[in-house]
Amino acid sequence: MKRLRTLLLLAVCAAPALHAAAFDDAMKAVSAHNDAAALPLFESALTADPDNLQYSNEYRKAVIRTKEYDRAIDFYGKLTAAHPQAAFAWLNYGYTYVDKIPDAGSITQVILANNALTNFTKSIDLKKSWIALYTRGNSYLYWPKIFGRAPLGVADLEAAVAMARAEAKKKKVYVRSWIALGDGYWKTEQPEKAKATWREGLQLFPGDPQLQARLARDGEELEKYIYDQLDPNKRVDTNLAPLWEE
Amino acid sequence: MKPLEPVPRRSLFLPLGLLTVALIATSASAGPPERDFEDVTARAGVAARHHNRAFKNPYAAIMAGYTALGAAAAVADYDGDGFEDLFVTDSGETGKNHLYHNNGDLTFTDVAGKAGVADGNDASNATADALWLDYDNDGRPDLFVVRFGHNQLFHNEGNGTFKDVTRQAGLDRYANAITAIAFDYDRDGYVDLFVGSYFQPIDIFRPQTPRFFPESFETANNGGGLTVWRNQGNGTFKDVTREVGVNLSGWTLDLGHADADNDGDDDLYVACDFGTDRFLLNNGDGTFKDVTKETIGIDTKKGMNADWGDYDNDGWLDVFVTNITDDYMREGNFLWRNNGLDDKGKLSFTDVARETGTYDTGWGWGGKFFDYDDDGWLDLYVVNGWVSAGPESYVPDVFQMITRPNVDFADARNWPPMGNKSLSGYEKKRLFHNEAGTFREVAARHGLDSTRDGRGIAVADFDNDGRLDLFVANANAEPYLYHNVRPAGPHWATFLLEGRKSNRDAVGAQLRATAGGRTQLRFVDGGNGFASQSSRRIHFGLGGAPVIDRLEVRWPSGLRQTFTNLPAGRFYRLVEGEPDPKPFEPRKK
Repeated sequence: MKRLRTLLLLAVCAAPALHAAAFDDAMKAVSAHNDAAALPLFESALTADPDNLQYSNEYRKAVIRTKEYDRAIDFYGKLTAAHPQAAFAWLNYGYTYVDKIPDAGSITQVILANNALTNFTKSIDLKKSWIALYTRGNSYLYWPKIFGRAPLGVADLEAAVAMARAEAKKKKVYVRSWIALGDGYWKTEQPEKAKATWREGLQLFPGDPQLQARLARDGEELEKYIYDQLDPNKRVDTNLAPLWEE
Repeated sequence: MKPLEPVPRRSLFLPLGLLTVALIATSASAGPPERDFEDVTARAGVAARHHNRAFKNPYAAIMAGYTALGAAAAVADYDGDGFEDLFVTDSGETGKNHLYHNNGDLTFTDVAGKAGVADGNDASNATADALWLDYDNDGRPDLFVVRFGHNQLFHNEGNGTFKDVTRQAGLDRYANAITAIAFDYDRDGYVDLFVGSYFQPIDIFRPQTPRFFPESFETANNGGGLTVWRNQGNGTFKDVTREVGVNLSGWTLDLGHADADNDGDDDLYVACDFGTDRFLLNNGDGTFKDVTKETIGIDTKKGMNADWGDYDNDGWLDVFVTNITDDYMREGNFLWRNNGLDDKGKLSFTDVARETGTYDTGWGWGGKFFDYDDDGWLDLYVVNGWVSAGPESYVPDVFQMITRPNVDFADARNWPPMGNKSLSGYEKKRLFHNEAGTFREVAARHGLDSTRDGRGIAVADFDNDGRLDLFVANANAEPYLYHNVRPAGPHWATFLLEGRKSNRDAVGAQLRATAGGRTQLRFVDGGNGFASQSSRRIHFGLGGAPVIDRLEVRWPSGLRQTFTNLPAGRFYRLVEGEPDPKPFEPRKK
């Protein structure tokens, strides 16, 4: 009995080392430009640590490079089924759909975007994080006006901005929530609130080029700029590294 | 908007003379810009409305949203009087097709009944398109009426009447055909028929199965595809689709032929709804090779138009394809710039729609290259709009279906009925002025920005004044005839070709005109562009050049002829093998 307990303890202690080792091997494969070899190693690491944002982030980067979107969607489907409480696994499940969008046809884009929203919602239901609220809120803004999703986006983004405001240290990445909230106000025909939000953002994050670009434009020029930013054919930046790189 | 600034006091003391000059200058610059087109539809007597087909079957309510088609127009001088006539379709069950005889004074008389070509619609047939072709090389344009049902071939009897020869020509077969072009793919001197079909060949009026809708929005291959009918030179046609290497089953909406690689034979662009457009290279031995992947790639868009033209005057023909671009679906059009052949002889295209400003034309349909201002650069007119009905949008209904898990799109019962809702309706048409290879949108300035649901565009000089006019066929609405009223100034020249060894209409002939230091390439096309056929006359805008220094003609037979020093402002008739251009003087009334 005592021996069994020792073995279990060893196994528990060794597990992090094992998935860390798998992740390290995956990164080595990436460095060697061998994404195909890296993918199963990332999957091993994530199977052991499904909520690890860094693992997911590097995995999805490799998926984008190899365009193995369906493999990743399948993987996260199984991962979240096995770990239904893993909020960040759900979040990354959503991102895999988003990552596929620029390489899909216009109708598939809608289906992918819809699936992504479903998974972002599951993540938020489990854990109200800034990244999940920002992500879902921003996703709503890509939908055509006729679907009426922009107000839902504004609600999420107001919550994300409130969370960011409450943080003592404002990470640079938080600027995205001010940018997106302004876009949301603009899309819901509240141009003054949009400008005020972007201005507040610029005070907090001086010199941010995206905020400056919006504040420098008006009318049709601004409309064209924002629509250009929200073009589903352009890849959305789902790189999460800025969350921990500062 | 800039705030109003106070007038400086000293300006109140302008000398009177100077003030007068200033006022004249102000009134001249403040006036509305001159329009180059005038809507003469009603005055010309061509205002008969098109009617969409209302189906009467269990799927009728659903089909109504996907069959707002069939408004088409085709141009030819069917009676040889020197004035271009018009065949215009209807699709309603009791709707008559129109043969508008050009009276020579920009008015027309509908003679379809007398000519025997009016009856294109009944309970089992709906007209979708029309094509003039001289299939027997007798010098008189015959008429092919494209239908959901059985197509019709009418032989031009030369006395103002036509004879239905569909059965004896071997063309009597059920198809849900939507487009047709004619060109001599095997260069035997007779034009062949290429017929594109939308739905697969089920009886669309009485479907025996509900599974006849597109199986996918992006990769559907359960459509009507393409049928190649070889003209056997004896008044009959033979289905040679498989023999020539064509095996397509997409949802064809348009076909466009041109010699893309300048090797002397015509290649084929197939624009498909719900999936991949195809590009077929003519092997020169009577067969085609599908080179889609290598030349244009595999797309997932909703191709609806294929019109070829050398928009950048580089000597290689480019192709313009409309797709859907709206708030809910941002596909963007294709303007496939022909890169020519690389050092290994490989042809390629690059989509430059974004770069040239031709990316967004809404839910695009017909798009035609033509030089409306005779400046020597091909302009582009594009019509658009799917269904303009009530204020409610159909978009959420479609997207609700799309996002339903495991929905079988091929089953018509899964598609939501459209009712009186609109989908990409009331869209403004676009006229792109070519400015040395990029385009500027100017439709509103010229009164060409209507909001009816446009389908086909036929370009022709209906009054023989040397300026190109436009006829626009609109779905479920009246058409437009736009008369080009641009003030005289830029030079032009028009050529009518007559083949001898080549097919009589010289379809496929290439003309390269050098004038004012610039060479332009034009070709005789056999019906390119969605739901329409433009004049087969070749029109060159010459800008300030009063003479074509050199005109090189490459006939479909391969014969090359060169003509020099041709004065502008004239109509010429070129006969294959004859050394001198003949005068071609269309009558003026």
